[in-house]
Amino acid sequence: MTTLPLLTILILLPLAGSLCLIPLGRHVQAAKGAALAIAIVEMAVACGMWSIAGGQPTTGAAAGAPPGFFLFEDYPWIDALGIRFTLGMDGFSLLMAIMTALLTVLAMLASWRTITERTALHYIFLLVLESSILGVFFALDLFLFYLFWEAMLIPMFFLIGIWGHGRKIYSAIKFFVFTLSGSLLMLLAIIGIYFIHGSQTGVYSFGLTALLGTSIDPTVELWLYAAFLLSFAIKFPIFPFHTWLPDAHTDASTAGSIVLAGLLLKTGAYGLIRFGYPLFPEAARTLTPLLLVTAVIGILYGSWIAFAQKDMKRLVAYSSVGHMGFVALGIAAWTPVALGGSILMMVCHGITTPALFAMVGMLAARTGTREIGAYGGLWGKAPVFSSFFLLFAMASAGLPGLNNFVGEFLILAGSYKVAQIATICAFLGLIVTLVYTVLLVQGLLFQEERQAFTIIDLNFREILLLAILAILAIFIGLHPGPLLDMLAMPVDILTGGTQ
Amino acid sequence: MTPDDLSIALPLLILAIGAILTLLNGAITRNQTAGTILATLAAIGAGLWAMKVPAVVSAPSLGLAAGGLTRLFTVFFAFMTAAVLVLSGRYNAYRGIKGEEYPATLLFTAFGMVALASATNLLIIFLGLETMTFGFYLLAAIDRGRPVSSEAGLKYLLMGVVSAAFLAFGISLLYCVAGSLDLGEAVRLTLGSAVAPVALAGWACVLIGIFFKLSLVPAHLWTPDVYQAAPAPVVAFLSGGSKGAAILLLILLWTNAAGLAGLRVPLFVMALLSMLVGNLAALRQNDIRRMLAYSSIAQMGYVVVALIAFQGGGLRAAAFYAIAYGIMSLAAFGAIGVLEGSGCGQTLDDYRGRGFTHPVAGGVLAVAMFALAGIPPTAGFTGKFLIFASAIRAGEYALAIIGILTAAVSIYYYLRVVTALYLQQAAGEERENIGVLATSILGLSAAFIILLGLFPAQLLNFLKTQLP
Repeated sequence: MTTLPLLTILILLPLAGSLCLIPLGRHVQAAKGAALAIAIVEMAVACGMWSIAGGQPTTGAAAGAPPGFFLFEDYPWIDALGIRFTLGMDGFSLLMAIMTALLTVLAMLASWRTITERTALHYIFLLVLESSILGVFFALDLFLFYLFWEAMLIPMFFLIGIWGHGRKIYSAIKFFVFTLSGSLLMLLAIIGIYFIHGSQTGVYSFGLTALLGTSIDPTVELWLYAAFLLSFAIKFPIFPFHTWLPDAHTDASTAGSIVLAGLLLKTGAYGLIRFGYPLFPEAARTLTPLLLVTAVIGILYGSWIAFAQKDMKRLVAYSSVGHMGFVALGIAAWTPVALGGSILMMVCHGITTPALFAMVGMLAARTGTREIGAYGGLWGKAPVFSSFFLLFAMASAGLPGLNNFVGEFLILAGSYKVAQIATICAFLGLIVTLVYTVLLVQGLLFQEERQAFTIIDLNFREILLLAILAILAIFIGLHPGPLLDMLAMPVDILTGGTQ
Repeated sequence: MTPDDLSIALPLLILAIGAILTLLNGAITRNQTAGTILATLAAIGAGLWAMKVPAVVSAPSLGLAAGGLTRLFTVFFAFMTAAVLVLSGRYNAYRGIKGEEYPATLLFTAFGMVALASATNLLIIFLGLETMTFGFYLLAAIDRGRPVSSEAGLKYLLMGVVSAAFLAFGISLLYCVAGSLDLGEAVRLTLGSAVAPVALAGWACVLIGIFFKLSLVPAHLWTPDVYQAAPAPVVAFLSGGSKGAAILLLILLWTNAAGLAGLRVPLFVMALLSMLVGNLAALRQNDIRRMLAYSSIAQMGYVVVALIAFQGGGLRAAAFYAIAYGIMSLAAFGAIGVLEGSGCGQTLDDYRGRGFTHPVAGGVLAVAMFALAGIPPTAGFTGKFLIFASAIRAGEYALAIIGILTAAVSIYYYLRVVTALYLQQAAGEERENIGVLATSILGLSAAFIILLGLFPAQLLNFLKTQLP
């Protein structure tokens, strides 16, 4: 249908744009405007792809595309090693891509006034990060995937380290070392499966489709999968590999937190769904109990710790651990319903959590503190802020009619058949989530004022940012059909062999 | 001398004549800049010659050859010499290093490297290696204003002499057994069906001599001191050039000797110790140069992993890594030299905020750090990828896993440099201009680091035609 290399363009546009921003370094306003314009164009292109998918994802499939992929690009790259520049987009990647493009725009809006130092550089790193994340979501060659996977860390490291708060250097280094150490073992596993496949077929390739059919000795498969799982679990983060996350979130800037929570965590789940399970189905099945247990611990532990937080940002960060635990639960169940729920939950978490981080950032920018105990009575002083906060907090707690509910419901419904006890425990986690969310809302909005802040209500830019997310949250909550339709085919193909 | 002989020897001749002319020019005109320009032109000339003249001939009467690999490394060494000469200008002016002997010695050193790369004869190998090292003895101590520089030079000299003795002794033992100094002959006659103990001892002595240049544990003790005290551009040359030459020599030995299979165990231990000691000791350093010295020890450990895994394409990986590491060293120490030329000290604290006051030098240093840490998309990543791939293919799983774990450890200290450059605030904020020449050389080296990371296909294909 289309001959333009759309996926390559999507990846290269922010990167090229960021290069163009370098000479604008001194002209802060121009640099900000240009960066936002690039991000918006990028978002428009990404959203435009929905129409190509058009409900019939097979149209426009290029020759050689794996089933379910409606966009596919394949170029020779490092032929000496059988590495190709292979990109593909199915419904799953499409949702992730749109989310990436949208959250990049919102991250820019959220940092519009708060980033005052080295401003142009901040937007450059945001755009570079967008490129590398999109690369992760599109890559269908394991080498290429790994390249983007690690390249992602560099801009994020700077985003936390330069524009963060508090112990930002410690957090940035912890984030980098933690996530990279996990990936390095995955690199060995990637090389391992490459040689196993090569020695069996005589064709040395890193292509996902080629590697899918590899038959591996069960013990070896287990080790290779364990290396993949470790890398993804750290990014996810799955208990007990989550310890970098609260630090990174607390000390990152608002934009950093938005991107980190909204996008980087999703790459871990994406990798597990796209590569981990399909490449090593047997090993994945063997280790499913492990994933189930850690997922449930993540849900309960994350929610429980969130309950005890005094810093709002830390609370939201720990709630992320809980929510991502649900995603892990749905993946571990690996039924079509649960997996669809997990992917939807990834999208939903990418809406509510960035919104909450943005609102914490707005509040902290006005008062200078993120201490929950310092606030009270915001409902009267900043009604617009409070309404949005109430909405997103309720969405995060899983109130029916809002987005997270749909994801959580599908995950629980889909998992119950295969893992009753885990599902029941996860349900208990929902209750804890509800409790701490209600307490947070009560403390912030309704309780009597504890410190006398003069709080100016939201301005137009902030309302715009939150309104976009609010509309999405309500829309997905009431009418998740289009998203689920988009996911139906990829999920069917992914789970096809296991049910 | 036949035309073929001349064609092979010409890069060497250009470098040697260039060095002599530089000295003469210094004696006659006392014009520092002219000497540097002359030397740079000679280096570029030698590189261009090696690039332009396709030669797959050998000159047995000279003990030289000029296969594809030799040509590649000749070009590499020649252009690196030119880059180091250009980068030295600012640093030497700041430190007060004067005189025509600096560019002339650099050219002589490059002469040694190129001779080493072209050698087919054990005696030429000895001459090349010692010419190169002799040049570095001088260069390490050339900063007469700094007592530590002389101290480092002396330390390097004393240890280097011992290693030269090993090398000479090894070669004479081999000559005893083989009765020939030709490398191919010597290998064929000494490592044939039954290896004589004397021959094995001879090879071990030769390898000890080479491992000293590579600064592998336990022959690494000179490295931190020399890296700390020698002029920064000299360290760039030492780290990027001399190690590349030593790696190339090992590759040449390995292609001839079917891997010297009997030496697997000692090599295994050396690789392991180098990776561990280098990376762990680097964690504790506060002086950036000492840190990079230990890092280089570890990096050479990875190269030995590739040599052990020669059956999995390790020689290609080692050759790629030699070039990648050379460029990374040039970028790192080139940037350090530029920064020190602006009055920056050597501890990590001195590097605070330099990424903003010196955008080019700081940026290139950061790129070099990410590359040395093996983060994509850089040459360092591709190199490490090739090394670990060859290790896995050859079945050396333990080395691959230990190697990747020590690489994970190394990330921390490389990040400390980036942290200092960008995440910590400096007192001043004024930007400083470092000049067009230094900017372009540093920019080029950073560009090569990223290009070799993104598009290594051409170099890999070339290496594939040259090495098993």
